[in-house]
Amino acid sequence: MLSPILMIGGALLLIISLAMDIGKSQSTARGPMLVVGIIAFFVGLYLFPTLKHHRKIVYFIFLFPLLFTFAVTVIIPLVLGICYSFTDWTGIRFEQVVGLKNYTTMFKDPAFIWSIVITFIFVVLNMILINLVGFLLALLCTSGIKGDGFFRASYFLPNLIGGIVLGYIWQFVFSNVIIGLTNNISLLAQTKTALFAIVLVYIWQYGGYIMLIYITGLTQIPGDVLEAARIDGATPAQTLFHVKIPMIASTITICTFLTLTSAFKQFDVNMALTNGAGSVADFMGNYLSNGTQMLALNIYNTAISKNNYALGQAKAVFFFIILAIVSLIQVRVSNKKEVEL
Amino acid sequence: MKKKLLAMLLSAATLSMVLAGCGGAAAPAADAGAAAAPAEAGADSAEAPAETPEGGIRLVNNKVEVDAGLKKLAAAYEAETGVPVVIESLGGGIDTQATLKGYYQADNMPDIFVFEGDIHYPTWEGLLADLSDEAWVSDTEAEYVADGKVYGFPTTTEAIGLAYNADILAKAGVDPKSITGPESMRKAFETIDAKKDELGLTAVVGYYTESSQLWWSPGQHIFGTYFDSGLARDDTTYIDLFKDGGKLDMERALPWAEMVALFNEFTDPAGVSGTYDAQVLGFASGKYAFVTQGSWIGATLVNDDKEAYEAAGSFEIGMIPYAFIEGQDTILTNSPNWWGVYKDGNVDEAKKFLAWCASNDGGQQILAEDCGFISPYASNTYSADDPFAKTIAEYTAAGKTSSWHWLSMKEGIGQNATGVVFQDYAMGNFADPQTFLDTLQQVCTNYYAN
Repeated sequence: MLSPILMIGGALLLIISLAMDIGKSQSTARGPMLVVGIIAFFVGLYLFPTLKHHRKIVYFIFLFPLLFTFAVTVIIPLVLGICYSFTDWTGIRFEQVVGLKNYTTMFKDPAFIWSIVITFIFVVLNMILINLVGFLLALLCTSGIKGDGFFRASYFLPNLIGGIVLGYIWQFVFSNVIIGLTNNISLLAQTKTALFAIVLVYIWQYGGYIMLIYITGLTQIPGDVLEAARIDGATPAQTLFHVKIPMIASTITICTFLTLTSAFKQFDVNMALTNGAGSVADFMGNYLSNGTQMLALNIYNTAISKNNYALGQAKAVFFFIILAIVSLIQVRVSNKKEVEL
Repeated sequence: MKKKLLAMLLSAATLSMVLAGCGGAAAPAADAGAAAAPAEAGADSAEAPAETPEGGIRLVNNKVEVDAGLKKLAAAYEAETGVPVVIESLGGGIDTQATLKGYYQADNMPDIFVFEGDIHYPTWEGLLADLSDEAWVSDTEAEYVADGKVYGFPTTTEAIGLAYNADILAKAGVDPKSITGPESMRKAFETIDAKKDELGLTAVVGYYTESSQLWWSPGQHIFGTYFDSGLARDDTTYIDLFKDGGKLDMERALPWAEMVALFNEFTDPAGVSGTYDAQVLGFASGKYAFVTQGSWIGATLVNDDKEAYEAAGSFEIGMIPYAFIEGQDTILTNSPNWWGVYKDGNVDEAKKFLAWCASNDGGQQILAEDCGFISPYASNTYSADDPFAKTIAEYTAAGKTSSWHWLSMKEGIGQNATGVVFQDYAMGNFADPQTFLDTLQQVCTNYYAN
């Protein structure tokens, strides 16, 4: 009898305290009410006559703080964000629900289409180049040259510097040092060269990290396999292509997806280096000013700099969908590979 | 069974502690709100306790460079009235308005905050306290007015004009007063250009167009001269046209574009990728005769770039109008932003603080001498330690000032649209002023359409 009372009472307290909070009540009783409500609810649940689910309830109670935090920081903002994308939200308030208007306007904007296009180009370039650079560095650092520990550390070091700081350091390098080689116009001043500069800096930042994963993969290749290859007279190239690479196939998959998703989300280096600026003389019949602005930065600028929060939110939902698809494919592919191994 | 119950209770206790942690943090905030509420309503309930900062006010400022000065101001106010004032300076890459929106959502609004006029007013519409009845309103002409009510407290005056190095001009034999239109401007530039080497100049004019950080200078200020140069303060002809879908008046814009072409001809080529610091330092070291920056660089000359400025002989500086049509004789002056009072904050104390700031025997001395603010208040007698203060005073006294109507352009246009076009032109990617103008027109139309 106690159990249902506690459960219902707890749930009621919970709802009332939340309602008070939403209703901007300043009563200090809100906090204790919320806590007491939650505890009462769980005690009631635990005392429920059937003993069947006791263990599960205990598990849930231990998970609750984490789930609560996850809900507050991820789930609720996600749901709210999707809702806001259908309104004319300004960051302060919204007047009306506009339906799919934000979604249709964003695809009519050539600047946004351009952002999508260069993001895809950037992703493909990075996926190939970072893996190539990372893999070659890993081969170098596992080849037994002197001081490979030092090389490993120094290649990895750029990854420890935050993207914004790194971007500003490189901006300085481009506009004060490299400028002498490029006819007194910084690489960052023109769209084409600025995109190249971003790719370069990003490889510099991320190559070492990928290298480290490849090193782990390469050192895990069993020594007897390599020895057998050597005894059979395999050349270093044959060993590389027919033994090492097939043996680290799963590592390659992981690294490919890591570079893919991180390149998609590229924001800080882009912001610090060019802030999206760059001219495009003619794209879909328009002159564009955001030549080097990738998707994440475009979303940020739409909301913050152009003060169009609802449109920015709609773009963010679109971005979320792309990333979700990529992640789902990633999970599928990696699962398959694991089974094969 | 008993053991399980114990475990259960223990975990519940842990949980409650976790949540109490959140609750504990929330409680004082709620207290603060409760304490502020009666003060705001002016009800007969007990006053806010004196020992807690709740009775005080919090001010969000977006000029990090005057943070120290404002803190001194706050300390002086507290010493005089006992009301604590907390200064929170946001800047250095932080978007103040976005942060304020976050504060609003988190129910953590400051009592006084900075906003930039027409661009930001729609965001805060209905959330700002009406300041129309304040005494300082009659002492200034720079207050922010919307729908017939005063919502913004002006702090300083900034001027946009073509700044010049008077020593170099004198040596080259150019009288700045002789520059009254495009022909005389070209003649002056050519005269100085011919003597560039003996004057030790890198270029005649330091016109910087780098678009990732410095977009605001060409994209808003130089562009802004098109809207206002030579016009009366209340003349909104061109901005009204522009607000209607980003339209430019070609008849007025073409001579303006020719002025931009003139800058491109006589500028330092490093300007397409140089920084603001490099631009001001170049001017401070006497490498440019003119610089396309406004009065705010005065503070930099006497502080950050002091060494270079003194090494170059602490030359006299002044400002001429951006005269792209013969006879334009005004510089553009305005309060660059305003302090607004949040209507659900501690409004009474905030109003008292603003009144004190505006009064001559109150905050004006610190605002002028420590923050370098050029006072927009008529009763003020303190002058800012700023090399441009005199020039601005002269133009103001002669009534030769125009307004900053570019502040009403659609938000973010300088950063996301116009800035790059100036850089592109400076790099020589447009054949002539007309092509530049057509591109600018297209970019603005698109920006208003999307």
